[in-house]
Amino acid sequence: MIRCDEVTKTFRKNGAEVVSLDRFTAEIDEGEFVAVRGPSGSGKTTLLLTLGGMQRPSAGAVQFGGRDLYALPPAERARLRSGEIGFVFQMFHLVPYLDLLGNVLLAAPGRPSDAERERAAGLLDDLGLAKRATHRPAELSAGERQRLAVARALLNRPRLILADEPTGNLDPENAAEVIRHLAEFHQNGGTVVLVTHGSAADEYAGRMLRLDRGRLVGD
Amino acid sequence: MTVWAHILREVGFRKLNALFSLLGLTLAVTIVAASQLLAEADERETRRVTRDMGFNLRLIPAKTDLGQFYRDGFSRHAMEAATLDRLATQLTNNVSFNHLVGSLRRDYTINGQDILLVGLSETYVAPGQGKKPMGFEIKEGTIHIGSEIARWQELKKGDAMHVGVRRFTVANDPIETGTPDDITIFARLEDAQSILGLTGKINEIEAIDCLCLTADEDPLAILRREIGGILPEVQVVHQRILADARAKQRQTREKVNAVVLPSVLVAGAVWVALLAVLNVRDRRQEIGILRALGKGGGRIAGLFLGKAVLLGFVAAALGVALGTWVVLEFGPSLFPVTKKAIHANWALAAQLIVATPVFAALASFIPAMLAVSHDPAETLRED
Repeated sequence: MIRCDEVTKTFRKNGAEVVSLDRFTAEIDEGEFVAVRGPSGSGKTTLLLTLGGMQRPSAGAVQFGGRDLYALPPAERARLRSGEIGFVFQMFHLVPYLDLLGNVLLAAPGRPSDAERERAAGLLDDLGLAKRATHRPAELSAGERQRLAVARALLNRPRLILADEPTGNLDPENAAEVIRHLAEFHQNGGTVVLVTHGSAADEYAGRMLRLDRGRLVGD
Repeated sequence: MTVWAHILREVGFRKLNALFSLLGLTLAVTIVAASQLLAEADERETRRVTRDMGFNLRLIPAKTDLGQFYRDGFSRHAMEAATLDRLATQLTNNVSFNHLVGSLRRDYTINGQDILLVGLSETYVAPGQGKKPMGFEIKEGTIHIGSEIARWQELKKGDAMHVGVRRFTVANDPIETGTPDDITIFARLEDAQSILGLTGKINEIEAIDCLCLTADEDPLAILRREIGGILPEVQVVHQRILADARAKQRQTREKVNAVVLPSVLVAGAVWVALLAVLNVRDRRQEIGILRALGKGGGRIAGLFLGKAVLLGFVAAALGVALGTWVVLEFGPSLFPVTKKAIHANWALAAQLIVATPVFAALASFIPAMLAVSHDPAETLRED
């Protein structure tokens, strides 16, 4: 499903060149649950954004479903992201002025259809947020916010979910709840790439990638 | 969710940003609307006041002795009325004079009272200017008389009066002006020519110079060159005090307009742009997640430009209403002579309601492009 060939990403920071990903090469198959681990600054988030078509690598290629992701025109890449990839971030990145339903429906590619509205309501129900559908994110607990972010990521029935430390700000109970929802997605045939520090995903992840200073040091 | 629904919710959430943008735009529109309405009122007032000041150019036969002219107030020499027609045919927007009136002035005695009899032609204006005649219109069979004549002859509006062998109706309510007009009868040029036995003659062409130059800029040299080229048989008398007053009034208004309008536009644009930049900064994470969700640059730019258009539209409506109210409320005390002509200008209102959203969108264009070009990965990694 995803193939990375010698993917390198460098940044300039305070005049110096920093290598965030160093010739990363790996293949992730459809239906895998992959955990990515590594110390801070090891390039985990960079890897995730690069896999999601959000950050062009400095060198190397990323293939998604057999297509060279960064050879696609930006609009085509955006369509692919919208239809096939869901993101979940540690800081939730919810839109503060939209209610829960509005936040989930934000993922709809155009004006939400009745079917998309029904699905959004169903997802909020599945994730235990139905009663708060008209609330705003600021009124939710951290665990509820992350579940809302998961619901948004699931709206378009993506093939892949990229989760960047989604349990980083959660207590163990809420962390387990979020991981359980990602595992459910995986059990239904979805692919998950999860960047994590903790061990909450250990029982679900079928594969572990270890990064250190941008390099893949364990698979 | 539609872009407009999205915009409305964001405006409701970041009320202060929207409020300050709205206030800035409303203030700018208020100033523009009020200044335009005041400029119109000022122009009307200027036109009226300068009309009341009278003509500032007097073209008299070249052989006139200026001593006699200033002593008597008119030339004892006459010229052909066709002289006026020759000058009138040269009236274009490229010459420095306008509002031509041919006149025949003579002293005259009526029932033992020494008066001035003035015959006035119709007013000639440059084509396409649509300006109203400077003087009053004298209808056929009527005359306008001064207050001293009315008192001496015991006449009032509507009374019949004989001048020579001709019978006229007094068309005006004589009012004391404290000028030679109080002992003047104004008649149609043909009537005065007939009464004085000077058919086809005039002894003066009155006009207004359009140079709007003050005396130190020497408008007289320009006028003498232009008029002398057309009518070598006349000499030009320029009443500089009147001309300067006119010129200074217009110059002041033009200077104010030249400064006020651009300043308001620049200040308004900077204000809106700064607030839009702040809005973009506040919404960096939102822009990042919209990108992650596959929203294109058009949708993101639409959120910022659409907000500017919405606020511009509301500000235009508020500003036009406020600016018009200010002028209707305070305009009459500023322009007492033409206060009845001060009204709302619906054409201006329509223009502002169309132009302000466009202006606001243009002012927000750079911040919107900043939002579009913003690298979402930067904010999404800021955890």
